[in-house]
Amino acid sequence: MKGIRGISQLSRRFYAAARTGQSLAQPLAGLKLSPGAAHSYQDVHVTRLPSGLVIASLENYSPASKIGVFVKAGCRYETPDNQGVTHLLRLASNLTTKGASAFKICRGVEAVGGSLSVTSTRENMIYTVDCLRDDIDTVMEYLINVTTAPEFRPWEVSDLTPRVKMDKAQAAHNTQIAVVEALHGAAYKNALCNSLYCPDHMVDNIHSEHLHQFVQNNFTSARMALVGLGIDHAVLKQVGEQFLNIRSGAGTTGAKAQYRGGEIRLAGTSSLLHSAVVSQSAAAGTSEALAFSVLQQVLGAGPHVKRGSNTSSKLVQGVAKATADPFDVSAFNASYSDSGLFGIYTISQAAAAGDVIKAAVAQVKAVADGGVTAADLTRAKAQLKGQFLMSMETSEGLLEVLGTQALASGTYISPEEISKNIDNVSLTDVANAAKKFVSGKKTMASSGNLIKTPFVDEI
Amino acid sequence: MAMTSILLSHDAPRSFSVVKMASRAPAATGRLMLGFRKWYYNMCGFNKLGLMRDDTIYEDSDVKEALRRLPEDMSNERTFRIKRALDLSMKQQILPKDKWTKFEEDVSYLSPYLNEVIRERKEKEEWMKK
Repeated sequence: MKGIRGISQLSRRFYAAARTGQSLAQPLAGLKLSPGAAHSYQDVHVTRLPSGLVIASLENYSPASKIGVFVKAGCRYETPDNQGVTHLLRLASNLTTKGASAFKICRGVEAVGGSLSVTSTRENMIYTVDCLRDDIDTVMEYLINVTTAPEFRPWEVSDLTPRVKMDKAQAAHNTQIAVVEALHGAAYKNALCNSLYCPDHMVDNIHSEHLHQFVQNNFTSARMALVGLGIDHAVLKQVGEQFLNIRSGAGTTGAKAQYRGGEIRLAGTSSLLHSAVVSQSAAAGTSEALAFSVLQQVLGAGPHVKRGSNTSSKLVQGVAKATADPFDVSAFNASYSDSGLFGIYTISQAAAAGDVIKAAVAQVKAVADGGVTAADLTRAKAQLKGQFLMSMETSEGLLEVLGTQALASGTYISPEEISKNIDNVSLTDVANAAKKFVSGKKTMASSGNLIKTPFVDEI
Repeated sequence: MAMTSILLSHDAPRSFSVVKMASRAPAATGRLMLGFRKWYYNMCGFNKLGLMRDDTIYEDSDVKEALRRLPEDMSNERTFRIKRALDLSMKQQILPKDKWTKFEEDVSYLSPYLNEVIRERKEKEEWMKK
């Protein structure tokens, strides 16, 4: 009996002996893990291919995978004769491609319960697909088709016009969007002044050739990043090498954004006056930009307790002394690859607008003059760290962070390192940032009943 | 346009086949049948009104969609030819011989668009069957 038992254990012993080279901390290659299986922690892998394409992935053992193609093809790369082409591109993501018709893309993605979406910022275009782990091949095929081989058939492109108009109409309802777009239009001479939405005069005038040309010039390997969550890095690398190498090179280089500092006043009948006053700050990724982010938290960037009195916001406390009417004020901070905007955004009653704006700007001046205590600084840093780390909690947020970092620098900076950098911001950095706002040439955008709204030189 | 079908004695054939010779020759698409095809084309008579074959096609829903996709310049030329033919038909005249559409010049401009429309419709139907 003992001998027979020994024989059945032999195969187990041989197997164990053969597997000595395999680390027990890494999952076996090619093994399909079930969602409930115990797993080991995986790091973010980043590879840069010779063509310039950056591939980043994180295996988080999630039952749903997310793949994103990030392209440096935001609206800042639009030229004066194709303004609005990125808006059309956003809407054209479901149109016929060389490998699949529009119908097939729609039904194919639906059939596996996935989704295909496009987002675009001023700098990047982001195509995302997500679906269950096992079906990732199907939707990946559609994603590759959409990003590398769109056909932009003339009649399909002209059928997009009603959707463009619908988008613009919806954006027009939202005053914040109108003010922010106007702010950028007034602040810059080129590149960053382009709006995310198609301008009125180009609504029916963007044709298939514009789209093709924009894709040819901007969707090149060196300006793309392929990012995945819940997918094996080797698989993603293979896809990147095989399919995303269609257009090599750097494409047309975008112009460097030139800040000019202007003013746009959008007259309206609304009793609420929205106003943004900004000046040039720093490019994203620099330590100065981090100082501006901390300054934004010092001054106050939105309530942290719902329906609370926002006691931690210096801006709110300062403006509350200037008016008894309802208002809202927060610090505005936007950073791009070569420039940034920092300032204040106020919403007030039309009659109290002047007082509110002046009080808010005075608060920033107080910070510039050294009105920040160490306690304020610690609080602001904690809030900034919290905001950043919370944004990485969702898969959409995490994908976006991975992708923008991959595109901007080709590497991944861990949250721990970013937290450390935030901790290193000093009081003088914050004060200098505030001084830069106070002394810089200001840009202003206002919308609503402009009766008591000061001009930018009256602030 | 519905008027197109009235002025012709033949319907322009979408697929060409000769009934009498069906048993002895394949559908007339080869070099050998070229002479015959040219003779048949001239017998049809729409070329005397300056029309091309695709101008006379019956407009069912597929053709309507294909016509919608036609680029503007081709669409304008088609409209002009049809208008000229209607005018001639009203006056009971035909064009002078040098202006008749020649067999070699008769390009099937609508076919690529029409085939694409039919392919898309079939794809939808296939999908719906599942």
